[in-house]
Amino acid sequence: MSTHHLPRRTLLGTAAATAAGLTLAGCGTGTERGGPPRERKKGQRITLTFWSWVPGIDKPVDLWNRHHPDVHVTVEKVSAVNGQQYAKMHAAIKAGNPPDLGQIEYPVIPGFLLDNGLRDLAPLGAARHKNRFVGWQWQQSVFGNGIYAIPQASGPMGLFLRQDLFDKWDIETPHTWDDYESAARTVRKKGAWIDTFAPTNGNRFAGFAWQAGATWYTTHGDTWIIHIDDGPTRKVADYWEALVKQQLVKTIPDRQNAWYKDIQTGAVPAWLGASWGDALLAGNAPATHGNWRAAPMPQWTKGADAQANWGGSATTVFAAATYPEDALEFALWLNTDPASLALLIDGGYGFPSAKKGYTTTDLDVDKEFFGGQHYSTVFADAGAHVDTRWKWGPGVDTLYQRLGDAFTDALGDGSSFRSALTKVQAHTLTDLKDKGLKVESGG
Amino acid sequence: MTRPPARYRIITATLLTIAALYFLTPVYWLVISTTKNTADLFGTFGFWFSRHPHPIDHLTAVLTYDHGSYLRWFANSLLYAGIGATTATLLSAAAGYALAKYAFPGRETVFNIVLAGVLIPGTALALPLYFLFSEMGLSNTYWAVLLPSAVSPFGVYLCRIYAAAAVPDSLLEAARIDGAGEARIFAGLGLRLMTPALVTVFLFQFVHIWNNYFLPLVMLSDSGLYPIQLGLTSWTGYADRRPELYQYTVGGAFLSVVPLMILMTVLQKYWRTGLTDGSVKA
Repeated sequence: MSTHHLPRRTLLGTAAATAAGLTLAGCGTGTERGGPPRERKKGQRITLTFWSWVPGIDKPVDLWNRHHPDVHVTVEKVSAVNGQQYAKMHAAIKAGNPPDLGQIEYPVIPGFLLDNGLRDLAPLGAARHKNRFVGWQWQQSVFGNGIYAIPQASGPMGLFLRQDLFDKWDIETPHTWDDYESAARTVRKKGAWIDTFAPTNGNRFAGFAWQAGATWYTTHGDTWIIHIDDGPTRKVADYWEALVKQQLVKTIPDRQNAWYKDIQTGAVPAWLGASWGDALLAGNAPATHGNWRAAPMPQWTKGADAQANWGGSATTVFAAATYPEDALEFALWLNTDPASLALLIDGGYGFPSAKKGYTTTDLDVDKEFFGGQHYSTVFADAGAHVDTRWKWGPGVDTLYQRLGDAFTDALGDGSSFRSALTKVQAHTLTDLKDKGLKVESGG
Repeated sequence: MTRPPARYRIITATLLTIAALYFLTPVYWLVISTTKNTADLFGTFGFWFSRHPHPIDHLTAVLTYDHGSYLRWFANSLLYAGIGATTATLLSAAAGYALAKYAFPGRETVFNIVLAGVLIPGTALALPLYFLFSEMGLSNTYWAVLLPSAVSPFGVYLCRIYAAAAVPDSLLEAARIDGAGEARIFAGLGLRLMTPALVTVFLFQFVHIWNNYFLPLVMLSDSGLYPIQLGLTSWTGYADRRPELYQYTVGGAFLSVVPLMILMTVLQKYWRTGLTDGSVKA
């Protein structure tokens, strides 16, 4: 009924068309706009352009501009629906006029390496700032000896639940996935569903696999090794298939109309989400104020502490930037300076990648909605235990579409989730080969 | 004129009523939804008011959010659609008139090329145009949206057909004998006789530019240059983190259809008479 999800599919189509157009249009790397990179002369005034989509990003940038009159940063807010901003960035790289800086999510970094769009920050001495950031997030931008972005934020995953309903139904907070399944059974008996398995939500499924110890992409030399159907991922697929087959979970998309309604009414009293879900729940289900709590993700092994991530982005410097050193300095300042972090947190940008410069309780923006719980400590702990071996590879948008199609088909014809994974694995190998990459199956 | 039998009148009225309902239902939904906040948008019945309708507060919030960026987008949309549609109408009129009234070698070739332009979707041209405009240093400027909006192959087609039917050769001959120049004849006679077609072209092109999403998406990166459509999607793109943006997007969508409604109402009478004029004279 609402208009907001209708354009999604069409936009996906458009984005895909754009991407296809780009591949056709852009054989060869982007032409340099401003010639070779230069060092700014002392006292010289320059302007850097920064593409981002976080509302409120202009506040830290204004602050920077007040203190750094020589290096003026101009924010251009690009639209971030279904990866359009990346299609734009790729197009701008091909056209030779990208901005100096951009905000990009971790999964898409490898895609930008394919068109040599990002500046390697290692020769500029970025490595010495490594310890200022959470380890695994720093690693998301490291490929070979190169460092291609400065981490900004992440989305450690956790379990949001309606404590009032769980208490009423006498369900303990699930600590393991077995607990979770029996909780799901009780919830179902009470006429609700514990969560939804959203077939098209590739991001969340990737998070589940990540937690189980999957590594979808690894590299060997210049070869990408793909393991979408590896052991841990199969385990996760089997688990959710069983929940779906027993009708213990819904299969509607999360974060869309019907789901929002279920969250408001308690028809779905829990959500495996990420740290940034606080605003989403508080804003969409204000009447459930005070009843929600956050808990760590259920574990595969009792007492283990395996965690995962969903979302998060980095600040990158594009290869065509004329003054990369100043751009890097801004990226570092933006993501570590305490004053900047405070403003970013205020805007709701995610969980900081910086280790210092804020306290975890600063992030409890919706504390009262969570009944006074210091819920951010749950996510801080999760963030500290995210599996560092996980790497993203090229073409993650395509992978998500493939996963979404395969799971939708499986739900439709009752075929196994494992067969969906096999299909996606095969498609992904072909997709990457078609991009001219060396690929192997990690089977 | 004889009245058609009652049976046909009933069928016609029924079909038209269904069509009207079909087209008006989304508008009705939009009007109702404008009065709701984000929670009620998802939690209450879509075709009736929630318990606390606040249309004025919500629309004020839309207009003032993020330093009034919505107003800026609104002004941009008016500029793109207003100037683009006016220019496209005048160019189409001139081209259509020339193709209809002057015999010159290659006339049909030119016309066929323009016709081919009608068949190529604008979306397919957006990326090549972007590369072209980047080369010229015009991407991310007002020109990047205005220039491609200033041509309308469909307009040329319509104007040619219309001019051929509605501008009599004898009248042009008479004007020439009276000593009027070709430019004067076009401006004084041609444009006047073609008014109904021009109104149609203007309306079509205005709506087309107003709703065009892909071209601005590809061309623009500075949100200060965005038209409404692009601005609103930039809001929904972040609605997960800022849920109130759902409500603002719906309110913004409602405001964005108001100018089109006004335009339709004002220009409708020209349009109606125009189409029948053409058909009678043809």
